[in-house]
Amino acid sequence: MTIPSPRDGASADASTALKTDDQVPGPPVDDRGEGPGDVVLRLTDVVKTFPGVRALDGVQLEVRAGEVHCLLGQNGAGKSTLIKTLAGVHHADGGEITWLGEPFAPATPQAAMRAGIATIYQELDLVDDLSVAENAFLGHEDSRLGFTRRRSTAVRTREILSRLGHAEIPPQQAVRSLPAAGKQVVSMARALSHDARLIVMDEPSAVLAHDEVENLFRIIRELTAQGIAVIYISHRLEEIREIGDRVTVLKDGRTTAANLPARSTPTRDLVSRMTGRTIEYVFPPRRPAEQRDPLLVVEGLGRTGEFADANLTVGPGEIVGIAGLVGSGRSELLETIFGARRADAGTVTLDGKRITSVGGAVRRGMGMAPEERKSQALLLDEPVYKNMTLASFSGFAKAGFTDTNGERKAAERTAEALELRPRDVNRPIRTLSGGNQQKVVVGRWLLDDTKLLLLDEPTRGVDVGARAELYQVIHDLAERGVGVLLVSSEVPEVLGLADRVLVMREGRIIHEAPAGDIDEDAVLDLIMAGSLTTESILEGEPA
Amino acid sequence: MSALSRRRILFGGAAVGAGALLTACTSNEPDNSAQVNTNTDASANPNAAAGEKVIIGFSAPAADHGWLAAITNNAKAQAAAYSDVEFKAVESGTDAAAQRAAISTLIAQKPTVLVMLPADGKELDAAGLEAMKAGIPVINLDRAFPSRAAFRLQIKGDNFGMGTAAGHYIGQQLKAKGVTNPIIGEIPGIDSLELTQERSEGFKIALAEFGFKVANRRPAEFTADSGQAAATALLQALPKMDALWNHDDDQGIGVLAAIKQTSRSEFFMVGGAGSKAAIDAITKDDSVLKATVTYSPSMASSAISLARLIGQGKGMSDLVELQVPQEITLASETITKDNAAQYAKLGF
Amino acid sequence: MTTQTAPPEAPAKQQRRKLDENTLRNLGLVGVLVLLIVVGIITKPDLYSDPTWVKNNFLTILQQASAIGVVTVGMTFVIIGGGIDLSVGAIIALAGVWATTLATQSYGAGGMIFTALVVGIAVGLVNGVLISYGKLVPFIATLAMLVAARGLAAQISGKQTQVSANDTINSLASERLLGIPLLVWILGLVVAAGWVLLNRTTFGRRTVAVGGNPEAARLAGINVKRHTMLLYALSGLCCGIGAIMLTSQATSAQAAMANLYELDAIAAAIIGGTLLSGGRGTIIGALFGVLVFSTITNLFAINNLSTEVQNMVKGAIIVAAVLIQQFRYKSLTQLFKR
Repeated sequence: MTIPSPRDGASADASTALKTDDQVPGPPVDDRGEGPGDVVLRLTDVVKTFPGVRALDGVQLEVRAGEVHCLLGQNGAGKSTLIKTLAGVHHADGGEITWLGEPFAPATPQAAMRAGIATIYQELDLVDDLSVAENAFLGHEDSRLGFTRRRSTAVRTREILSRLGHAEIPPQQAVRSLPAAGKQVVSMARALSHDARLIVMDEPSAVLAHDEVENLFRIIRELTAQGIAVIYISHRLEEIREIGDRVTVLKDGRTTAANLPARSTPTRDLVSRMTGRTIEYVFPPRRPAEQRDPLLVVEGLGRTGEFADANLTVGPGEIVGIAGLVGSGRSELLETIFGARRADAGTVTLDGKRITSVGGAVRRGMGMAPEERKSQALLLDEPVYKNMTLASFSGFAKAGFTDTNGERKAAERTAEALELRPRDVNRPIRTLSGGNQQKVVVGRWLLDDTKLLLLDEPTRGVDVGARAELYQVIHDLAERGVGVLLVSSEVPEVLGLADRVLVMREGRIIHEAPAGDIDEDAVLDLIMAGSLTTESILEGEPA
Repeated sequence: MSALSRRRILFGGAAVGAGALLTACTSNEPDNSAQVNTNTDASANPNAAAGEKVIIGFSAPAADHGWLAAITNNAKAQAAAYSDVEFKAVESGTDAAAQRAAISTLIAQKPTVLVMLPADGKELDAAGLEAMKAGIPVINLDRAFPSRAAFRLQIKGDNFGMGTAAGHYIGQQLKAKGVTNPIIGEIPGIDSLELTQERSEGFKIALAEFGFKVANRRPAEFTADSGQAAATALLQALPKMDALWNHDDDQGIGVLAAIKQTSRSEFFMVGGAGSKAAIDAITKDDSVLKATVTYSPSMASSAISLARLIGQGKGMSDLVELQVPQEITLASETITKDNAAQYAKLGF
Repeated sequence: MTTQTAPPEAPAKQQRRKLDENTLRNLGLVGVLVLLIVVGIITKPDLYSDPTWVKNNFLTILQQASAIGVVTVGMTFVIIGGGIDLSVGAIIALAGVWATTLATQSYGAGGMIFTALVVGIAVGLVNGVLISYGKLVPFIATLAMLVAARGLAAQISGKQTQVSANDTINSLASERLLGIPLLVWILGLVVAAGWVLLNRTTFGRRTVAVGGNPEAARLAGINVKRHTMLLYALSGLCCGIGAIMLTSQATSAQAAMANLYELDAIAAAIIGGTLLSGGRGTIIGALFGVLVFSTITNLFAINNLSTEVQNMVKGAIIVAAVLIQQFRYKSLTQLFKR
C-alpha cells in the first residue's frame, strides 16, 4: 500500500493552502497519522459549486479503515456539503473521490449506501411510527414477492443491535418510545444493516446527554475495532480529543490542515486553522456610541429547553453582537425578544413598553431579519418592492387600498440607498443574489421608523462583496440612531461590527465584553470549549 | 338476454302487483282523508278488528329525499291507526353499516314482524337472514334482497313500469297530436343507480312501440338545483322539443324552474314518483307538467298493514289464500288532470 | 468564495416576463374556451347557425357558471392564503335551507338574503376560528364542517325540498338587465370586487403574504391567524351569495343541494393558475376555469354525450392544467437561475 501525500495531484491553489499549514509552527501534516488500517476513502481537490457559492473549493481528505477521522470547521466551512457529497445527495463538480481504490461518484443516496457509506445526519431521519427493525431496514426491506419478512428482519436487527452492544432494544418496539440515545443506536443499526464500511456522523453528540455520549463512544470504538471507518463531526473539542484519531480542518470550503493527530495537536493550532483569514473582512470604522438610556431592555428572559436567564440591553445607535453556535439558543433568544416566541420567564421592554407579540414589536418600532431568509422572510415569487414593503404596505394604503406606486417609489429610494443590484424593484426577488435578498430584508425595516433591528445571521449565504455593503448598511443604521442586536456564527463579523459582544453557549450568555477587549480566538474558545473555564482560556492554553 | 328475462319477470310482477293494489283499493272504499289508507272499519272487513298485539320493528335509512321521508312518515301514521300495533322505529343512519347495527338492536328487542327499507339490498341481505333465522318475519320494502330466505314479503315499486308508463303516456299524446318525428327529452336521476337504468330502459322500450326515441338525456341528482342545471342544458341543446320525461318530482321543482326561466312552453312534461306539488300542478294545469307516473311511498303504509296481518297469521281478506303473498309489486300509475283528485291524498 | 452577481437580465425584460406569465395562462384558457366553441360549431352547425340561439347559449353558459363562479372567488382567496375549504357546498346547502324556511320566508326577500349571507359568514367564521385558533388542519376542519353543515341543513329542512315562494328571489334567475341575466351581473360584480380586493387592497396583499410565506408574514407583523380566519369568513360570504343564486335558480333549497361544489370550485381555481400550496393565484384565471367547465357541460349537452365522458374530460383538463403549470414554473425558475 502506498500512502500518497495529500499534496499529490493537488491543484496549485490547494497546495498553497496546505503549504501554509506546513509552515505553521507545530505539528506538520502527519501522513502516516494514527489510523491503523488501509486508506479507504480519499478526496483530492474536490470542488462543489452552488449558484453564487463555492461551497467546496479544493477539499483533501483521507480516511483509513478502523479510524475515527474528525472533521473540524466553523459553520459554513463546507462540512455539511462535504458529507452530502459523500452520501450521494450532492455531486462534486471537480476533483477526485476514490473509495476502496475505485473512483467514486454516487448518483443517489441509495448508491452511496450500497457502496458501503452510511451517513447519520444531525436530525435523525427515523420514522417515529415504525418499529426499530422497520427503521433499520427502511428502504431496503427484507422481502419476498413484495411481502416483508418480519421474522428474518427481526432476527437480523437483533444481530446488529447486539453488535452495537444494545441487545436489550426489542426490534419490534416503536421508535417513538425510544430516548434520543436509543434513536441514535437505531440510526447506527440502519448504517450497519447496509454493511457500511464507512459511517459518517454529523454532530452525533448534539442530541445526547453526557452519559449517553460515553455510550456512543463505546459503540464507535466497537465499530472501529471491526475495521469500520468513522468520519466524526463535532464542535466539541474535548470529544474530538477523546474519540478521534486524526483531524482534518476545513475553512471556507478548503482543507487547511489534514491528518493532524487528534490527541496531541494543541487547541490553539486547531482554532487558528479554522480562523486564519484569507478573506479580508472590511468593516467600516466605528465611532463609539454615546452612552444613552437603553432602548431595549431584556431581563431574565427564558424559554424552557432553549435558553435561560438572558439579560441584555441595547442602546440607541449601539450595535450589540451575540456570538454562539447553532443550537446555543441565540436565534431562539432573538425571536423571543421579537415576540415571535412566547417567553416562559422574564420581560422584554422597548422604550419602556413591554413587548409580547410580533404585532406589538413592529408597532413599537422593532424589526427583524430572520435567520432563514427564504423560509422566514421572503415571498420568493413576489417582486422586490412588495417584499420591501411587507411590513409597511398598510402604512402606504389609503382606506384599505394599496398604493403600489407609492410603495414602488419608496422601495426604489431604499434600493438606491442600499445599492441594491439590480436596482429594478419589479423583479421577482427569487432572481436576486443572496446578498441582495438580504439587503431587501434589511431595507424592509428602513422604510418604517424602526428603532431597533434584530439581525439573525445577516450574512449567511452572502458573498464577500455584498457582505461589505451589508456591513456598511448596518453601520449607517447605527449612525442614524437605530439600535442593532446582531447574531452571527462568524466570530470576526461579530467582533468587527459590534460595540459590545455577548457570548452564548448552551442557552446562556456566558460572557460579555466591549468588542475591543476580546479577540477572535478567545471568543471561539468560549463558544466551543466544553470543559474549559473562561479564565483559563483567556490566560492561555493549558497543556 | 338476461335483461330480457328480468324484464319478463318484472312485467309479471307488475301484473300481480296491479291486481293486489286493485283489491286493496276496493276494500278501502270508505272516504279517508288521511294521507294513508287505514283499513279500520271492522264491519266492512274482518281483518280490521283488533286482534292479538303485534310489535312491528321498522328501519329505513335517514331520509335525504322527500320520498324517503314520506316512507317513514307513512309507516308511522299507518301504525298509529291500529290499536293492536306497537311501532318501534330505529334511527338507521345513512349507510348500510349503520343500518346493519340498527337492525341488530331491533332484532334483540324481539319484534313480531320487521319492516325494513334497506339502504342497499345486497349489503343488508345478511341482516334479513339474521332476523328470519331469529324467527322474525321480514318485510322488505322497495330494495330486494338477493336471498330468497331473507324475507317473508317483498313489496316494491316498479321502476321499469314507471318508464313504460311515462313512455306510453308520451307516445299516446304525441300520436293523438299527430306528431310524426317528435323530439323527446329525458332527465333521469343519478345515472349510476340501477333504478335509474331500469326506468330509462322501460321508457326507451315503451317509446319504441310508437317508433319514437329519446333525442337528448341529461341526468340530474334527485335534487332541485341539479334538476335546474340538467334542464337548462337540455333546453339549450333542444331549441324545440315536443315532450320531456323527468324521472323525479323532487328534482322536477328545478326542472320546472329552468323551463320557466327560459320561457319555454312548446312541449309537455311528465314527472315521476307523484309528489304533492306535482299532483297540485297537474290539477291546476298552469305549467308544462301534464302528468306524473307514480312510485308511491304509500307502499310503506301497505307494508305496515300487511306486517300486522302476517304477525296475526291472517291473509288478505279479498284473496282466497290464508296468508299474505310473498311478493307485491306496485303498479306505476299515470296521474293526469283527469284522475289527479283521486291521487291527491297519496302525494308526498 | 467567488463573488456572485445577479443574473444579467435587463429589468424591462424581466417585468415583461412576469406580466406574460399571468396573461399567457389566461390566454391559454381563452384558447381552450375558443377550442370548445369551435368543436361545438363543427359538431352542431345547425344550432350555431341561429344567432339568437348563439347569444342565448353564451348567456346560458355564463348563467350556469354564476353560482359556482361566486363560490370559486371565495375559494381562490382561501387557497391563495394557504388553506382549502371543503365545506363550500355544505355551507350553500345550510344557507339556502335556512333562508327558505317558512319562518325566514315570512320576512320577504330581504330577510332571506340577509339570512343566507349571515349563515354563510357565520359558518365560515367557525371554520376560520377552528383553523386559526384551534390549529386544526384546514382539510380536516372543513371536512368536518362539510358533514356537520349538511347534517344541520337536513335537520332544519326535515329532509324535505323547501320551495321558495318568494317571487323576488325566484325572479333573480329569470330577470335580465340590459339583456344580461341578473345572476351574470352578480357574478361580474363579485369577480370585479374579488379582483380589486386581491390586487388593490391591503387585504389582498396580506392574503398573498400569508399564503406565500406565513412565517415571513408573521415576522413582518401581519396577524396571520386573524387574516386566515377572515379568509374563511370571506369564503362563507361567497357561499351565502351562491346560496341565494342557486335557490333562485332552483326556486327551492334542500340539504343535498350544491353537491360536490367544493371539488368544482377547487378544480376551477387550480386550472386558473392558483397554486394549491398557496401564495399565488388570480381571480380572472379562476373565472376562466369556471367558464371552461360550464362550456364543457354545454358542449356535451348539445351533443347528447354522456356525463361519464364529460367527467373524464374534466379530470383530464385538471391534470393537464397542473402539468402545464408545473412545467412552466420549472422552466421559468431555471431561466432565472441562469
